[in-house]
Amino acid sequence: MLEVTGLRAGYGAATVLEDVSISVDEGKFVVVTGPNGHGKTTLLRVLSGLLPVNSGEITFLGERLNGRSASSIVGRGLVHIPQGDLLFVDLTVEQNLYMGAYLRDAWKGRRERIRRVYELFPRLEERRTQQARTLSGGERRMLGIGRGLMSNARMLMVDEPALGLAPVLVQEVYATLDKIARSEATVLLVEETLANARDIADYVYLMDTGRIVHQGTMAEFGEDVLASTYLGNSGS
Amino acid sequence: MDTFAQAIISGLVFGAIYAIMTMGLTLVYGCLRTLNMAQGAFGMVGGYAAWVITTDMGAPPIVGLIVGALAAAGVGMLTHFISIRPLVGRKDIDFEMTAYISTLVVAIVFSAAIILMFGARNKAIEPLIDGRLTIFGTVTVAWQQIAVAVVAFLCLGGLSLMLSKSRQGLSIMAVAQQFDAAKLMGVPAGRVYWVTMALAGLLGGIAGVLLAPLYFVSPSAGDLPILKGLTVAVVAGLGSIRGTIYAAFIIGLIETLVATYVGSLWSLPVLFAIIVVFMVVRPYGLFGKPEEERL
Repeated sequence: MLEVTGLRAGYGAATVLEDVSISVDEGKFVVVTGPNGHGKTTLLRVLSGLLPVNSGEITFLGERLNGRSASSIVGRGLVHIPQGDLLFVDLTVEQNLYMGAYLRDAWKGRRERIRRVYELFPRLEERRTQQARTLSGGERRMLGIGRGLMSNARMLMVDEPALGLAPVLVQEVYATLDKIARSEATVLLVEETLANARDIADYVYLMDTGRIVHQGTMAEFGEDVLASTYLGNSGS
Repeated sequence: MDTFAQAIISGLVFGAIYAIMTMGLTLVYGCLRTLNMAQGAFGMVGGYAAWVITTDMGAPPIVGLIVGALAAAGVGMLTHFISIRPLVGRKDIDFEMTAYISTLVVAIVFSAAIILMFGARNKAIEPLIDGRLTIFGTVTVAWQQIAVAVVAFLCLGGLSLMLSKSRQGLSIMAVAQQFDAAKLMGVPAGRVYWVTMALAGLLGGIAGVLLAPLYFVSPSAGDLPILKGLTVAVVAGLGSIRGTIYAAFIIGLIETLVATYVGSLWSLPVLFAIIVVFMVVRPYGLFGKPEEERL
């Protein structure tokens, strides 16, 4: 579904991603993990068109995405749910969700979509007329994910959904992501703490200093692989 | 008592016009993060368009209002493509300051062009509706004032409906609040920018046509309104939509009360004193937030 080959990208002269190749099949739950500050978020920003590709290829559903605008990438169903939610804090919960359906095709079906989001997150329906700034951390996360689902998403790229949440809420968010992966859209997750996604990940990529250093199914990811990366002696 | 009631009424009417006028500044500041100094010129152009259509061509005043508003919307869009769009995203300049200057220059060019086309003489324009309504005793309201209030109410109501419900309106708010997230939702920022400028033009044009019968249509007709608009924006806190409406009525009332009880020559100095006081004591205005972060 999503194929990334030999991707190089970064901020101006600073290259962050070196020769990154990943592949996500439809209906799978794929995780990119690795220590903080090693390019995971940058990868998502490049895939969603916020940052330019320096070299390499990105194809999604058989179409080349290199050089396309963020708007046209969302239109193709590749949706980025950013780290820290980036909500429209002065808009209401409902207005935030409708913004997720901004593109014309999604806008037409927004009332039906919002019902599905409310089924998934009943709390959002209770709070629908409140400003997003009044929500708790967990509710904000739900709104961020719900807003992403409002588009005609074929694949959701979710960045660190556990960040800043209490452990109970982390479990709740992951249970929901699992549900989404099985019924709504393919999920590509960026997560520093692989343990959070242990039970639901189909395939894992380990990223270190801008490169994919290890990949495999969850079973193939022994403690030793993770330990070596997080202790900072990978490749040695 | 009667004088006071009269002052309050005309204060509220002026407040309503300032609210429409300043809403243009507020939306552009929210979305583009620059002061659009051509906002007054939009009103001036709207006034001329209305004058041409009603006086030269004999159309009814309501048509003048519509044509004036649409002409100003066009000028708003033009201003965007001439003086803002070429600056967006450039790393070698301070966007806010440069766009402020370039819109100011465009406003001057519009005034000069109007002088070349229509001469420097003031033009009188018919009000939307003549006559006065007696409320009680000697307190009367011009029908024009009532018409202004109705038009202003419809405008602000329509605007708030648009910003809170429609796809285009929500996208303006979204770009103003969270630029990156708006792009991730698929909002093309470039289009939102020019739509916002056209909307600012529309609002400026309506304000200009409503003000025209109270003053005159002249090449400098936009100068005072932009000063008042800036005063309102400073008091409200730039970018605050609800604050803009409250502040517009506060400024409208202060202006007419000072004019009534102290003398009309004093109303501008008082407004400027208000700007100075706010800049020193509360630079983010009554309803703004201190130094809002923007990604």
